[in-house]
Amino acid sequence: MKPSHRLLLILVVTIAVLLISPFLGLNGIINPEIQHHILTQLRIPRILFAFIAGAGLAVCGMVFQAMFRNPLATPFTLGVASGASLGAALYVFLGFSFSIMSIDGSTFAAFLGSLIAISFVYSISRLRSGFSSETLLLTGVAISFFFSSLILFIQYMSNISDSFRILRWLMGGLTTVGYNDVLQLLPFVSICIGVILWLSRELNLLMAGDDIALSRGLAVQKTRYLLFFVTSLCVGAIVALCGPIGFIGMMVPHICRLLIGSDHQWLTPATLLFGGAFLIICDTIARLIIAPSEIPVGVITTLLGGPFFLWLLIRSRNTSF
Amino acid sequence: MNGILTVKKLGVEVAGKTLLSDINFEVDRGDYLCILGPNGAGKSTLLKALMGINKTSSGEITLNQQPLSQLSQKLRAQHISYVPQAHGRQLNFSVADFIKMGRFPYQSAFSDWTLADKQAMDRAIEITNINDFLTRQMPSLSGGEAQRVMIAAALCQQTPLLLLDEPTSFLDPHHQVEVHHLIRQLNQQHNISIIEVSHDLNHAAHHSEHILALKHGKTLWYGPSAELLQADHLQALYDQQFVFTAHPQTGAMVALPCELSSEMS
Repeated sequence: MKPSHRLLLILVVTIAVLLISPFLGLNGIINPEIQHHILTQLRIPRILFAFIAGAGLAVCGMVFQAMFRNPLATPFTLGVASGASLGAALYVFLGFSFSIMSIDGSTFAAFLGSLIAISFVYSISRLRSGFSSETLLLTGVAISFFFSSLILFIQYMSNISDSFRILRWLMGGLTTVGYNDVLQLLPFVSICIGVILWLSRELNLLMAGDDIALSRGLAVQKTRYLLFFVTSLCVGAIVALCGPIGFIGMMVPHICRLLIGSDHQWLTPATLLFGGAFLIICDTIARLIIAPSEIPVGVITTLLGGPFFLWLLIRSRNTSF
Repeated sequence: MNGILTVKKLGVEVAGKTLLSDINFEVDRGDYLCILGPNGAGKSTLLKALMGINKTSSGEITLNQQPLSQLSQKLRAQHISYVPQAHGRQLNFSVADFIKMGRFPYQSAFSDWTLADKQAMDRAIEITNINDFLTRQMPSLSGGEAQRVMIAAALCQQTPLLLLDEPTSFLDPHHQVEVHHLIRQLNQQHNISIIEVSHDLNHAAHHSEHILALKHGKTLWYGPSAELLQADHLQALYDQQFVFTAHPQTGAMVALPCELSSEMS
């Protein structure tokens, strides 16, 4: 099967997920008016949001995997999401409340946090040439721990209600999103994905390594900074609005690579669609598994992602990606 | 001063350490330059400086009378292509996808795959004779096959100058001969200038035109290849004595390293 046919198949599945998922879990409600309200005011914005956030997280994960040439490198494993979380937690803690062009200040705080984290990881990985992927991941883990303990500190110092707000949000959830959140998220994720679609050849070259990329005429450094910027923007916006939903950026691009190959011309759109559909499915599970109550979607993705991470770690021991 | 590539007083420093200093040479159209030297002499560093992978700290590299530093990376890739030291099999691409990337210097975002792209790729495939394994994955290739694919990808760039970093070091004798035959063919039939880093003295002496011998980041010797095979040159370069004999088949002079024990006598 050609990559274009496979992509079409993924598109069909995604559309099916988008159409079916809003109606799951509606049958218990008898009053049609309430049903209608739930569907249009809660369900549909939530599913739209899940799609956009899932697509953004998956595509950012894919970019990290290509840039660092490592299937385990994602905004989460490298501490970028923790940086974003710290930024947003600080925003809550310090009692800031502002918005620029109707975009909430926490988004900017999270964006700054992720940009700082990624600059940190990247400059450490540049210190020595021949930097092994294990060291890179350990750097990410160290940065994650560091930021996480700062978040704990902030939580400890906060009053009960702020502290609970931070904790609940750190679990990653889509419970309370509305149309406004969709509109907050959409521009950031669209810009990021747009740039990444535009750079599909460049991503292929980055995956071949700096030496080959440079000798094929790619301005590696410039491309990398641009990618850092747009992925930080995207991860920052997502984390600020729905907390760090982990592991999507690792699982989805990896599965897509197995399905469609590693040419980013096909891989990027496939990852985008699959990532969106995947988060909707996880969120639907989170919604239904202990209905009428629900659990944060981040719990589901992390439960799936942990074993997947271990499987990758064992499998990738003897291949360099 | 008519060379397509002129290197003048080139110096390279990495992290405060001088890796190359005062390197001078020139490569004309259709020239074949071999860079020899012991391990750590700066041979690969020199190729990477020409390719823009290592930054130069002093001196000047000019390409067709134009300073290389003024060219964009893309423009540079239209003039110089590069086959790095063996790692083709670590790349997770299909052969066809990898070769395609050689057309990057001529493409812009969202531009279509043009007829010129297709022709360049077909020609590179034909010259390197890799048609049989286009659909295979790079990690599944043998060392010799992978090297031909790496050369094909560089040929897609259609550059007048090709740099190769120890293209045969990890190959068995049969594939060494095969890859060297291919490089000579590119040089003689397709008029591509070659700069090759090598450890194969006899190949360098007989098949290249000029030799640049590096030691400790400096030029030890630079001249026509025919003058390389002399005891004092080789002794100075490698700190190793050599004996010379005629190749029984071709009659050409070949150098053989002496046994360590015979140095005593």
